[in-house]
Amino acid sequence: MPDVVVCVKQTVDVYQLKPHPETLAPQIGQAQWKNSDFDLNALEEALRIREKHGGKVYVVSAGHDVKPLLVRECLAMGADEAFVLSDPSLEKADGSATAKVLSSIIKAKIPRWDLILCGEASLDQNSYQTGPRLAEIFNVPHVSYVTKLEVGGGGIKAWRAVEDGVEVVSCNLPAVVTVGLEINTPRLPSLLMIRAAQRKPLNELKLSDVGLTSNDVMPKAETVEIKALKTERKKQKFEGKPEELAERLAELIISNVGGRR
Amino acid sequence: MKALVFGEKPEQTASLAAYLSKSIQPETTYAAAFTEYSPTELETVGGAGVKKIYVLPDKNWHAGPASTAHALSELAKQNGVDIVVVYASKKGNEIAARTAQRLDASYASEVISVERSGDAFLVKRLVLGGGYVASLLLRHRPSVVSIKPASENIVPGDKPVVERLNIVSDAPEVKFLESIKPEKAHVDLEKAGVVVAVGRGFKKKEDLAMAEELARIIGAEVGCSRPISGDLKWLEEERHIGLSGKRVRPSLYIALGISGQVQHLVGMRDSKTVIAVNTDPNAPMAIESDYFFVADLYKILPITIESLKKKLVS
Ligand SMILES: Cc1cc2nc3c(=O)[nH]c(=O)nc-3n(C[C@H](O)[C@H](O)[C@H](O)COP(=O)(O)OP(=O)(O)OC[C@H]3O[C@@H](n4cnc5c(N)ncnc54)[C@H](O)[C@@H]3O)c2cc1C
Ligand SMILES: Nc1ncnc2c1ncn2[C@@H]1O[C@H](COP(=O)(O)O)[C@@H](O)[C@H]1O
Repeated sequence: MPDVVVCVKQTVDVYQLKPHPETLAPQIGQAQWKNSDFDLNALEEALRIREKHGGKVYVVSAGHDVKPLLVRECLAMGADEAFVLSDPSLEKADGSATAKVLSSIIKAKIPRWDLILCGEASLDQNSYQTGPRLAEIFNVPHVSYVTKLEVGGGGIKAWRAVEDGVEVVSCNLPAVVTVGLEINTPRLPSLLMIRAAQRKPLNELKLSDVGLTSNDVMPKAETVEIKALKTERKKQKFEGKPEELAERLAELIISNVGGRR
Repeated sequence: MKALVFGEKPEQTASLAAYLSKSIQPETTYAAAFTEYSPTELETVGGAGVKKIYVLPDKNWHAGPASTAHALSELAKQNGVDIVVVYASKKGNEIAARTAQRLDASYASEVISVERSGDAFLVKRLVLGGGYVASLLLRHRPSVVSIKPASENIVPGDKPVVERLNIVSDAPEVKFLESIKPEKAHVDLEKAGVVVAVGRGFKKKEDLAMAEELARIIGAEVGCSRPISGDLKWLEEERHIGLSGKRVRPSLYIALGISGQVQHLVGMRDSKTVIAVNTDPNAPMAIESDYFFVADLYKILPITIESLKKKLVS
């Protein structure tokens, strides 16, 4: 019965985020928050492993202001228990600080686990680093970019998408695996599950609860500026009858393909 | 300043060294390899600026990223390097992250540039879905970055010193079982002059034939959004465009049934002209294209194709 830890990051909803018209800085203050996309794929995979093999599913989340409502979404999907740590010093956390906090939570609160599941990359940072870093901290193997996973016999078999095709690999547990959107479709919790989640344990932690101080989580990579990329487009919109639009489209294609055929 | 570069393939290692020679200009560039380089490959990396190449046993590579990261961090320590630069292939990113953790280093993945800034390195990378560029300072030594520099012509030069080294690693192993290669031939989307890109607006795999026909008659390559290659597996992985896929820069980009989420836009932002077909007038693509057709692709594409055939013959 494998116990699985799922790392779920809360990030700004980058799909709604707008840059400031003049400074081009992201207007984070006005943005909504959500659970990072691939982390819900990771959670879904953990739930499927539990359905097949038993065991527990823990959710771990760290940030400068972790929102309990979003953690409840994970519990409603089916996670058994959540450990979340909020500290203002994590606002500028880089991969090194994040891996430090997450591993400290796991060491302090979940001493027995078989598998850690992460997203391959977070929605906001897109760093591809937290999973491998955790594996290095715990000195266990990791497999990234996993699109299909089988657990059994004290190990895993994983299908991973790399540039030149799919690689099939195996390793012993405990291990860390990172996944993308290909691996599954996260379930939508029913009202019943949402209600049941209210009674599940959501443990809110401080840095000192896991033996850390804000000095331990100073970023080693310091973000000094963030600016929107801009591309100017003509933004001409065409609506109308299909025949007319099709003709228009053909003309535009020809004039833009020009002499290059 | 000393740098250590590593790419899965010799040409990747060479491109890293060549990039550093222009950007941060290290006094010494070391390279790591887990296979023997041919004489021509040695001349290429030498020409790119590598002074010394360490050839390690291939078991450090085949045992998986932990073992490779162990080897790289040992080389970094032995040579007192200031920066470890890994080619940002998918495997490269995994190895770089583990190497950074092992070295307790500053690390930035998939950077688009590296510069010196006083005692630190200033790097840029795409964040927040790819719609934004972040500048970061890496102050710790060593620092680690992964980067995919544009390939350039490298004039062969003197071969670097080759040292064979055995690094024994007890790092946790990942066993390689098999590799499933895609059937189709390699496509060079990055160099395509015209790209027809397909998204989830297509309902069935067979319907992609429309896009393929359009591409054929106008001499375009076919690309796609990530769900088409990843979730649905209708097209090869190497056709996926965006943050986690290819970055294309054609003179014309035709987006069919693609919503235009930020992670897709990163991959086609540098296109000269963008035409989109989408049933939803409010899809994000509407403000990211030059000509946006509010239309059902199933209704207009067949007519467009017929019309193009006629026009292009005459
Ligand atoms: C970390 C991360 C990395 C990612 N990297 C990438 C990446 O590299 N590339 C990428 O593409 N995505 C990437 N994604 C996924 C991205 O967020 C979107 O989910 C994806 O781009 C959506 O693909 P789509 O536009 O094909 O599908 P959808 O968003 O479902 O859009 C389909 C569109 O088709 C339109 N449509 C439907 N029917 C018709 C019709 N009959 N005629 C015309 N139009 C129609 C709809 O109006 C809609 O706008 C990434 C996500 C994350 C979290
Ligand atoms: N603050 C965090 N809390 C919980 N999980 C995280 C956090 N940051 C990163 N992760 C996990 O690590 C994955 C990769 O993140 P990143 O390395 O930032 O791309 C995410 O998809 C999450 O699974």
